[in-house]
Amino acid sequence: MTSPIDIEGGGASVVVDGEPGPETKSEAVKLEGRSPGQLMWMRFKRDRTGVISAYVVGFFFLIGLLAPLISKLYGKDPYTVYADERPELFDSAGVPVQPNGGISSEFWFGLEPGNGYDVFTKLIYGIRTSLMISVAVTVAVVVTGILLGVTAGYLGGKADYIIGRVIDFLLAFPAQLFFIASMPVVVSLFVSPRDETPTYVRVVALILVQWFLGWMGLGRILRGTALALREREFIEAAKVSGASPWRIIRKEILPNIVTPLLVQSTYLLPGFVTAEAGLSFLGVGIVEPTPDWGQMFSKASTELVMQNDITYMFFPGISMIIFVVAFNLLGDSVRDAFDPKTAR
Amino acid sequence: MLRFLVRRTLGAVVILFLLSIVAFLLFFGVPRDPALLMCGKTCNPDSIANIHHVLGLDKSIPEQYWIFLHNLVLGSDQFAQGPCPAPCFGYSYHTNEQVWETLMDRLPTTFSLTLGGAVCFLIVGLGTGLLAAWRRGTLIDKAATGGAMVLSSMQIYFLGPLALAVLVYQTHWFDKPAYNEFTQDPASWFTGLIIPWVVLSTIFAAQYTRMARSSMIEQLQEEHVRTARAKGMSRRYVFFRYAWRGSLIPIVTIFGIDLGSLLGGAIITETTFSLPGLGQLAVQSVFFSDLPLLLGVMLFSATMILLFNIIVDAAYAFIDPRVRLS
Repeated sequence: MTSPIDIEGGGASVVVDGEPGPETKSEAVKLEGRSPGQLMWMRFKRDRTGVISAYVVGFFFLIGLLAPLISKLYGKDPYTVYADERPELFDSAGVPVQPNGGISSEFWFGLEPGNGYDVFTKLIYGIRTSLMISVAVTVAVVVTGILLGVTAGYLGGKADYIIGRVIDFLLAFPAQLFFIASMPVVVSLFVSPRDETPTYVRVVALILVQWFLGWMGLGRILRGTALALREREFIEAAKVSGASPWRIIRKEILPNIVTPLLVQSTYLLPGFVTAEAGLSFLGVGIVEPTPDWGQMFSKASTELVMQNDITYMFFPGISMIIFVVAFNLLGDSVRDAFDPKTAR
Repeated sequence: MLRFLVRRTLGAVVILFLLSIVAFLLFFGVPRDPALLMCGKTCNPDSIANIHHVLGLDKSIPEQYWIFLHNLVLGSDQFAQGPCPAPCFGYSYHTNEQVWETLMDRLPTTFSLTLGGAVCFLIVGLGTGLLAAWRRGTLIDKAATGGAMVLSSMQIYFLGPLALAVLVYQTHWFDKPAYNEFTQDPASWFTGLIIPWVVLSTIFAAQYTRMARSSMIEQLQEEHVRTARAKGMSRRYVFFRYAWRGSLIPIVTIFGIDLGSLLGGAIITETTFSLPGLGQLAVQSVFFSDLPLLLGVMLFSATMILLFNIIVDAAYAFIDPRVRLS
């Protein structure tokens, strides 16, 4: 992060969510030269791995977005307990009678051992919940990272020192342990313990705890970038011409940190997805009957599933591997597109 | 070197102190009353008040914190359960055992898990990564990179139950993972932990493969490496003498961080395989609102993280003479 030479980025022509925005095209008509954002977009389009993984990632987001529509077309919902509704499909232990986890033309991904939820709708709704939480955490982390990291790097001095110490302090936290310990606390901020905890409170709590310990890495990287940028001539020029620090950060520094920001957030998001799933796996995240990716793993690790029929395990497992692999490949491609000099 | 160590240790102590305050406040933020969990069926306001008094929960929070700090540094013999020597976290609300002893009791499990896992993933991960860098662009490299990409995207909570289901429940090739003490029966210690080790190190090794490969390739493009090659040194000599040392630096950093956080309790791994280590203890302490135990585990884990951070920074000076400890 010490070399400022590689920094390029098209500012407004790049959308933060990792998928290059379509407005770069319309700009090409008006402008003669190519903005760094356009160059990046052109390089990205040539990268076949990157394009394919972008489609895969987009597919997951689409599934999450359209989950209610898909399940309506499919004719089922993730809340129906088929063990009660259609007991003939299950044996006495609650395992689907038909082979391979009860996969049939009616239940595409089979039925969940135990309660007998429909796995297909459970999975798409689970992806929806997990992605929603992780996107929210990523947005919160990016905003915090920019605010604190750039402030520390650009202002330097006391602000830098304080923020640096806060980062050191938070990095010493045993993260997972802290998540588990603080989830009940954060939940209790919203509801009294005697009441049933509504799902949205758990969602908000998950977002809050992950955000609290999630921003330091990005903050550090952005601090380094801002520190390097501070010494460059165009910042000095802006300073000499009388721009306020706030204006310099907004107009001069922000467009120049889009590259590390975009690359880092594509790496961060799958991390938040797996961390959120881990919490639900441990039983402190989203709980039944709300569908959630991670909670499916905790169901899959019960003896009932492991002893009888492991088909159920593969649906959350394989889909999460595909998602994480695609997202990581996308992150690599975005990085390469921005900075073609780095070797793979 | 000494100044560096002293400075970093003092910093770590300050961080631990702040962390203990945060953990304390966190606990009192939970509205669950540990006394309710403890007094069982014969519960009335009197007995709850009595338990509060015995646990010291009737005092104000700053006062309780002060007692906690005092006991931690100097030990205490005020406990009804018996004396409590110097690193005293008190007695667990739930099991009534001394927290420090419980921690030390659970530590060997976590330590064995970490140690075995670390040996596996370091050897396999570094080996594969260096091999891939050495044979860059060949089929071996592509297979290693692709495999590492997929494996590093796996999660313990998927791979663990899968391994358990296939190897234990379906084929019965292995017994259920369990911790047996090494000193009593080394063979069963090994067989009991082999599945957790393999699962843990599969995921970690894949990450180390990717890191070692990219770090090595970066090093091979350095000027001093090219100069050495131009002088006529063999590729092998340059690879193992020049590039390898430089490529170690980022790996040592990550390894230190990983070791620290694993020793502080591999929560998901231990939960998946029901191993009685620190991570499982942590989960229990949260579910039973067991303040002394929670504080104990939290401070212990943080100490491990901080300790390994310091070790890593000190190790830099040995690996890389350019680094000055200042």
